[in-house]
Amino acid sequence: MKVAILGANGTMGAGAAGVFAGAGFEVTMLARERDKAEAGMKAAQNAARAEAVADRIKLGSYDDLERAVREAGFVFESLAEDLALKRHFFEQVDRFRTPSAIIATGSSGLSIAEMSKGRSDSFRKHFLGVHLFNPPHVIVGTEVIPGAETDAAMLKSVIAMLTHRLGRKVIVTKDRPAFVGNRVGFKVLNEVAQLAAEHGVAYMDYLVGPQTGRAMAPLATVDLVGWDVHKAIVDNVHQNCEDEAHRCFALPEFMEKGIGEGRLGDKTPERGGFYRKAGKETLVLDPKTGSHAPLKRPAPIEFVEKMKSLNHVGRYREAMAVLREARGADADLCQRVVLGYVSYALNRVGEVAASAADVDSIMSNGFNWAPPTAIVDLIGARETIALLNNLKLAVPPVLEHAARDGAKMFSGGLLEYGRAFVG
Amino acid sequence: MANPAPIYILGGAQTDFARNWSKEGKHFVAMMREAVLGGLAATKIDPKEVETAHVGNFAAELYAKQGHVGAFFVEIDPAFSGLPTSRHEAACASGSIAIIAASAEIEAGRYDLACVTGVEQMKTVDSTTGGDYLGTAAWYEREAKGIEFPFPKLFGRLGDEYDKRYGLKDEHLAHISAVNYSNAKRNPNAQTRNWFMSEAHAQQQSKFNTVIGGRIKISDCSQVTDGSVAVFLASEKFAAAWAKRNGIQLSDIPRILGWGHHTAPLEFDAKVAESKDNAYVLPHTRAAIIDAFKRAGIAGVEQLSGIETHDCFTTSEYMAIDHFGLTQPGESWKAVEGGVIELGGKCPINPSGGLIGAGHPVGATGVRQMLDCHRQITATAGEYQVEDAKKFAMLNIGGSGTTSCVFVIGK
Repeated sequence: MKVAILGANGTMGAGAAGVFAGAGFEVTMLARERDKAEAGMKAAQNAARAEAVADRIKLGSYDDLERAVREAGFVFESLAEDLALKRHFFEQVDRFRTPSAIIATGSSGLSIAEMSKGRSDSFRKHFLGVHLFNPPHVIVGTEVIPGAETDAAMLKSVIAMLTHRLGRKVIVTKDRPAFVGNRVGFKVLNEVAQLAAEHGVAYMDYLVGPQTGRAMAPLATVDLVGWDVHKAIVDNVHQNCEDEAHRCFALPEFMEKGIGEGRLGDKTPERGGFYRKAGKETLVLDPKTGSHAPLKRPAPIEFVEKMKSLNHVGRYREAMAVLREARGADADLCQRVVLGYVSYALNRVGEVAASAADVDSIMSNGFNWAPPTAIVDLIGARETIALLNNLKLAVPPVLEHAARDGAKMFSGGLLEYGRAFVG
Repeated sequence: MANPAPIYILGGAQTDFARNWSKEGKHFVAMMREAVLGGLAATKIDPKEVETAHVGNFAAELYAKQGHVGAFFVEIDPAFSGLPTSRHEAACASGSIAIIAASAEIEAGRYDLACVTGVEQMKTVDSTTGGDYLGTAAWYEREAKGIEFPFPKLFGRLGDEYDKRYGLKDEHLAHISAVNYSNAKRNPNAQTRNWFMSEAHAQQQSKFNTVIGGRIKISDCSQVTDGSVAVFLASEKFAAAWAKRNGIQLSDIPRILGWGHHTAPLEFDAKVAESKDNAYVLPHTRAAIIDAFKRAGIAGVEQLSGIETHDCFTTSEYMAIDHFGLTQPGESWKAVEGGVIELGGKCPINPSGGLIGAGHPVGATGVRQMLDCHRQITATAGEYQVEDAKKFAMLNIGGSGTTSCVFVIGK
């Protein structure tokens, strides 16, 4: 099957091209100019660490759109997150595609229904979201989002292709803003950014750092993602979702201001983000002043250090017990974020995710975060509920059921969640 | 040839070989803990039932500045406090030596249930330092000291020796690499499962596929891997009771049907000098294979459903092909060209992806090979299952063909 990629110069477009070509598909990478598509191809070669990944790649500009789309069995759209732009291209794809060609959007949160509005019946039947995470050659978590009219058999075949040929870990989500992964993930990231305004950047990243079940500290993650991308995601949810954590999606003032000044995180090294490199030195942002100062390691907090040393030797249950039993202002804040994650994630079951296992899968395989149910199992379901009640956080129905039945929630074991708890 | 009391393999578990435990900020005991507790869960064995523990590890003293690795088994679970434990080292064959030691104890009737754990944490150092540490698996002073990446060079010379005696085309080595990478894509624990590889890439020398030593390019090499694997070995007495409580027959449990263990001179030159009039380039490896076949009561490789071999480099798999008897000596290329070694072929080699595809945590590799043979015989290998697998063999090598350990596993 031939694959045509629109927006193949972007990070995700180039990444997707590498993944499809690496799996043996013939790929045409399209961008505004052929040179830009070529730059995307070079990025795909660097990611694959092999020139030969391009043996199956052809390049073109949008002048070649008609030919590429006519030949394609699968069109992957990875244009900028701009509804009007996407619609403009889909109108052309609709005109040129063969009746069996599948069209997938890589959008990380725009409405599938909105994107396919006005397109032909055949287009809408063959249209779906395939949300890859960055960088796709490393992160295999993938969300598939059918529209209301997406053909069920085609959906099944796309999931099988993604799973078996592309090595993806797929979940199916509802067509809701930011889907599951980004909805849950950016709730936490933005909440930590909000808290950083008051408590400081280095302190927050230390307090809810990798020891709490994530590969990377939250604010360092936002820098990696890019402040502009972060804003697009949280604004989308804030404007289009009313839920129990609505206020957590309000972009902090200092970030709004920073973005206005061109501070976008790692991609703007001279302006930085929460962090900035100055030679070998790492500087950290003071959200109050908007300027960077040399990073000083926050004063060690006893329960944090205990968690780290327990994770270091693989004692994850004991580490979570330390968090559960910790008291004081630091502990309250840490519990609020970590248990807030568990609460919000598991409360999405039924609303946007089909099951707790799906939420686990995307948070683990898409974000490299501890699956929320693994945290519940480590803390204990009843103990988790007690903590949620103390923190005045919602108790998700799936958690109530587990506590009632005394059942373990996470489907896997230590070997599946261990990597998320960093020492 | 003595054929002692049977050794049953009850199963086990491994860590995901793609993980980087230094990045996770962890000590190797965390790795052992996940493998052993995962193995206990998979086999439904209570920690209190384990009577003896053997740990295979190559060089924790170097990679983690920690000796006494066997004692770390006790740290895994309070029930292990007081257990007899030991650590075994024979370079890349450390895991197999741990298996042989555990088997010997069970054969002698000392214990009924042994846990064999292999562990290596290698990503604690940069690749040049790691390459130097691996040099201690050769005669360091004579073959590795002051040489960058000594092992690829030694195994490059194994290819050169084949070339000299029989002729060797690098395209056959490239195919071996591509098959291992392709198999690894089916293995959810393989280090390279999401990596790109194609035969064209493996053939090309390029900025991403540079020569590491002699005829060995990056694509010919196994990986630097953090990993731990645990398997549980049992006497007939324990296995019978375990079968009963799990509702299966004793005859359903895979056994070690035969083993072979030979050690050749350490230096590669000495090996080659010794074998100059022999059809087999590494006759002691051949002898270990023949011993295992004899002890298993099988006539030859035709009776195997597949092999997990030690492809530390493509040349070592090339060597394994004729040494196992899949072709006449020097004709391994015929099996490569004929598709014999591929999944679906007559005798698939490394359905797991092997050391090249699945990864090579040195001291854990032999244990991983045994776990993979167990998966094949119990039809639990998932997407890399060899259809109707009855008997599997594994070859685990330490050094430049120095210590060779072979096991035949089946029911």
